[in-house]
Amino acid sequence: MSLDLDVQIEQLKRCEPLTEAEVKALCLKAMEILVEESNVQRVDAPVTICGDIHGQFYDMKELFKVGGDCPKTNYLFLGDFVDRGFYSVETFLLLLALKVRYPDRITLIRGNHESRQITQVYGFYDECLRKYGSVNVWRYCTDIFDYLSLSALIDNRVFSVHGGLSPNINTLDQIRIIDRKQEVPHDGGMCDLLWSDPEDVVDGWGISPRGAGFLFGGNVVSSFNRVNNIDYICRAHQLVMEGYKWMFNNQIVTVWSAPNYCYRCGNVAAILELDDDLNKRFRVFDAAPQESRGVPAKKPAPDYFL
Amino acid sequence: MTAEDVMVSEGAVDEEKRLLQASSAELLSDGRRGLRIKGWIIESINAPILRSLDRDEWEEKLDTSHLPEMVFGKSCFSLLHETTGTRLYFDAFDALEGWKQEALPPVEVPAAEKWKYRRNPSQEVILDYDYTFTTPYHGSATIEPNVESASEDRTCHLNWENCDQQIDLNAPELKEPILFYDEVILYEDELGDNGVSLLTVKVRVMPKCWFLLLRFWLRVDGALMRLRDTRICCSFGDDANAKPVIIREITWREATFQSLSMNDLPSHSAAFRDPNQIVHRLPIVSHKIHKLEVTQ
Repeated sequence: MSLDLDVQIEQLKRCEPLTEAEVKALCLKAMEILVEESNVQRVDAPVTICGDIHGQFYDMKELFKVGGDCPKTNYLFLGDFVDRGFYSVETFLLLLALKVRYPDRITLIRGNHESRQITQVYGFYDECLRKYGSVNVWRYCTDIFDYLSLSALIDNRVFSVHGGLSPNINTLDQIRIIDRKQEVPHDGGMCDLLWSDPEDVVDGWGISPRGAGFLFGGNVVSSFNRVNNIDYICRAHQLVMEGYKWMFNNQIVTVWSAPNYCYRCGNVAAILELDDDLNKRFRVFDAAPQESRGVPAKKPAPDYFL
Repeated sequence: MTAEDVMVSEGAVDEEKRLLQASSAELLSDGRRGLRIKGWIIESINAPILRSLDRDEWEEKLDTSHLPEMVFGKSCFSLLHETTGTRLYFDAFDALEGWKQEALPPVEVPAAEKWKYRRNPSQEVILDYDYTFTTPYHGSATIEPNVESASEDRTCHLNWENCDQQIDLNAPELKEPILFYDEVILYEDELGDNGVSLLTVKVRVMPKCWFLLLRFWLRVDGALMRLRDTRICCSFGDDANAKPVIIREITWREATFQSLSMNDLPSHSAAFRDPNQIVHRLPIVSHKIHKLEVTQ
């Protein structure tokens, strides 16, 4: 089995997707591993933390060039593997194949895009349909999304989550008891962990002007970190031009790992390396060169728009 | 590339040169994108999104603590008529000033209903800025004082005056070969994965005219779509020194998802990724036509 898997990993590294039957088998194996993981998955340092990827496969290969290959480097990915980029299928399957092959050397937690509803609007669904001619692969993958853990705790000191905090959650134990094996709900603690954002203009809790979605200020973060005895929170979810950004006096950091986001923003990306003693090193990297990523050059084709 | 592809693309380059020459137009040099044609210098600049420090500066200047997550603040599209010094340009800063002034009330997403029971107003701050970044912006215009031939004439003013002459979208001159084409994104926001807010300007230059579309496109998933289009067309005429005739047409359209579903149109967001597919189904809420007058 591991021989087959090694062949598949090599194939995926060349950005060649698996067959539908192979995806089905891979997802079944992944499910057996993920179902055993905690909602607050324990991770040992040294570890390299990565933020949003969004289907930018060739840029993820740059990430591995900078951070080292798995399993030599131990990785924690904070979700949003799919949508928006051109290669969500290959990106997610490569990460999932690595997870099945080296379950203790890579941790994948869920982002708000790992959802049936969101992927139908932002690209992954259409990409599966286009590449496979059916939505079966999308079904297998979105079923696996329900099994992804919600957060990680590194050496009991660094709490990692895709979005942020929730007014329903004060302690890590309250996360541990969530029944996560479901589509991301529209509200409640599980929703907030994947969706909420830190916000400078509030101290405590805020509500987004959209009328849904929590924003949390510095006091909320201080109190969470104190109650749970952690040093800081590491999260993703928001684009940062410089690749990472500290807030609230170094109590929370955003890590963003999709360089030149959507192939047009011109931003750099970052990953956060923690060594055995949790010393931090941010590694900043650029997008893959245009010619190596199989995307047409960017001069737009003339269009008789009206 | 195969040898055949190379030949085809070389052929395309030759054809482009021939077309430019036939219209006495030339592309800008030194890595600039744009062209000179019939007394106009037309140029686009596509730059990366603003860095955090620049964002802080913009927030201060605009007196706001929120900006779109992707502000292409150094991108610009500009059209300068050399003899009159008339310059039309499009940039994110002026557009965001418009957003700040219009200050529409926020649009609630469908989940907001469910969220009301979670709220505890005594403990929470509800932010109420217009997170859709809707702007009434339809471009900026100035008289360039530095242009030589305009120097005697510094007191010129630009006025957009009402007019009833629509842009003729069927005009043959709009169907002629495109000598230059580009698209510049001014800002974009994903509304926290609740849709899209996008301000872009597209231009195409043909041998006898240029035509541009400044478009603000908003889709708040499950709630609202808003399309604010500004089309500007300029026919070159025979004399490059004459005052150019510039017409602009501003059309604002808007519909709620609810009103679309009542009319048996699809109301799921995936159907509305491309505003071109929906434009004619969105009712017009405002329509204006202006002509640019240069007065002394």
